[in-house]
Amino acid sequence: MELTRPLAEATAARSVRFVDVAKRFGEVVAVERFNLAIEPGQFVTLLGPSGCGKSTTLNMIAGLELPSEGRILIGDRDVTAISPADRDIAMVFQSYALYPHLTVFENIAFPLRARRRRTSEAQVASRVTEAAKVLGLDQLLQRYPREISGGQRQRVALGRAMVRRPTVYLLDEPLSNLDQQLRVQMRSELKDLHLRLGATMLYVTHDQGEAMTLSDTIAVMSGGRIEQYGAPKDLYRNPANLFVARFLGEPGMTIIEGEVHAGRFAAQGVTLDLPDELAGRHSRLAMGVRPEDLVAQDPAVAPMVGTVRTVEFLGSRSLVRADIGPVLASAFVEPDIRVRAGEAIGLAPLRADLVRWFDPRTGAAIPATAAVRLAP
Amino acid sequence: MIIRRWLQVALVLVPASIVALGPILWAVSTSLKANDRIFAVPPRLIPDAATLTHYRRLLAEGVHWSFLNSALYAVAAVAASVAVGAIAAYALVRFPVPAKRLLLVLFMAALAVPSYALLLPIQSIFVQLGLFDTRLALPILYAAHVVPFAVWMIRAHFVAVPIELEHAALVDGYSRAEAVWKVILPGAMPAIIAASTFGFLYSWNDYITATTMIDSPGRRTLPVALIFFQGFHGRDWGALMAGVVIATVPPVTLFLIFRRYLIGGFSDGSVKG
Repeated sequence: MELTRPLAEATAARSVRFVDVAKRFGEVVAVERFNLAIEPGQFVTLLGPSGCGKSTTLNMIAGLELPSEGRILIGDRDVTAISPADRDIAMVFQSYALYPHLTVFENIAFPLRARRRRTSEAQVASRVTEAAKVLGLDQLLQRYPREISGGQRQRVALGRAMVRRPTVYLLDEPLSNLDQQLRVQMRSELKDLHLRLGATMLYVTHDQGEAMTLSDTIAVMSGGRIEQYGAPKDLYRNPANLFVARFLGEPGMTIIEGEVHAGRFAAQGVTLDLPDELAGRHSRLAMGVRPEDLVAQDPAVAPMVGTVRTVEFLGSRSLVRADIGPVLASAFVEPDIRVRAGEAIGLAPLRADLVRWFDPRTGAAIPATAAVRLAP
Repeated sequence: MIIRRWLQVALVLVPASIVALGPILWAVSTSLKANDRIFAVPPRLIPDAATLTHYRRLLAEGVHWSFLNSALYAVAAVAASVAVGAIAAYALVRFPVPAKRLLLVLFMAALAVPSYALLLPIQSIFVQLGLFDTRLALPILYAAHVVPFAVWMIRAHFVAVPIELEHAALVDGYSRAEAVWKVILPGAMPAIIAASTFGFLYSWNDYITATTMIDSPGRRTLPVALIFFQGFHGRDWGALMAGVVIATVPPVTLFLIFRRYLIGGFSDGSVKG
């Protein structure tokens, strides 16, 4: 796969903006007060569990769904009510949506042959061949979709998207039908493609691994709203609320709700000293800590004590799941830890500043400036 | 073991093919025999002196015009019913048509009504509309009979076409009509061919509607024209069988060309991406 210059130069990446967009299906609100600005050339992922409105959002940019409210702009152009054909976007579908009665060549050529594009056959041939070469499909051009493998179909779908150099690429869970190995491979090829095309790409997935590795920016969605928008590292380190804290990470943050008494955070099995600015202001708090930020300690002195439920050996480390009060906490510990199910385990945050604090009523994160002092 | 299986299959298939093909073979044989040999005893399947007299007779009587009439009516009926059927099927699949299920049941119910039960009322309506004994009468009635079947058949295929295919075509720069024409219809070809073949066979084989709605010899269909060889010429078996042979050619040809779509080939060329 070598870089073909014209391909990179001809792509004019555009920005995408949502202004107060909402989408309702009857009584059901699919997307609500959606505001998002995507810079030209960015790779942005809409990440969320199924039913969170991410695909609906993508379909609205594509023009396959009309928003109930608000406006969508691509570049400077208001495309809210413009037909999909006139938006100059390309889309890769989860099911690939290859045309079964057309060969691979004809599938990739299909967008170029649309009447409104008026591409000469010579141009069609050269551009299809070029795209096929980039994607390693040159040997398969005369085959039908049913005659090629899942990974190859995926590439054909990509080829059909890139052949006409759209201003925005929309990718709707394009890797979810591939097996694990192929998915990882296509993931890096996609990233590579994005770097070379320099195009604006909007990607929808429920797989946080994909979102983290591919994206410049991630919008975590739930219930039709954006929960948080930011760089993958930011989202992971500083979740804006309990939803993002639980959703990101495999497993997600352990969240423990508790009372604040005399400058200390206390929950069943947990006692932590609080930073002053938190201690005075809240009577209830929720603490969040990533599994890799916990270390095992002697239960007699540990600030968090629980009962081991399972220990999973993962090679370089072990994942311990332990009941701390009503919460099932997760912690990555050294691989040869000697605890068994039913035994007591003590855990402690690696550093006090790695603990995140949330308001349990609203779920919003409370920025803590000072470090939490660990209880003795 | 294999031989026993084979024998069992043969035991069923040989009588079945004799029942199905025997009359046709006998018709071919009779159509090639001279008049005095037709009832010869013992009967011979392969005529000792084949003759084309009966076929020449048919031509002389102008039966080829009836053949063309039949073909014209059938083709017009098929074109109309498949066009209407495909559009209706698409609408029933993709648009929020009110009382969709009821409509489909009605279509099915229409199939269940025997067409001859309605012949007399339709005849008097056609007389009043000035359609009786015109070249429009039979295409209209045949199409009306085939449309419900076409709707069901094509709809079943459209239902299986994922909406993403259409969406992909829209995003690729095509209008909705173009998307349907270039992506959805080619995928539904098996269903369309099956509906067309059914429609053609129905129209081609019909006798009772044709004899009720058409009076003039010049607008007769083939089955109606052939019947006259029974009465007027005192059972002219040779000519009659020659006519039967000619009448069999188009359906058999159609079947041979499209058998892939007609026998369990309905999912062929499928929609899986």
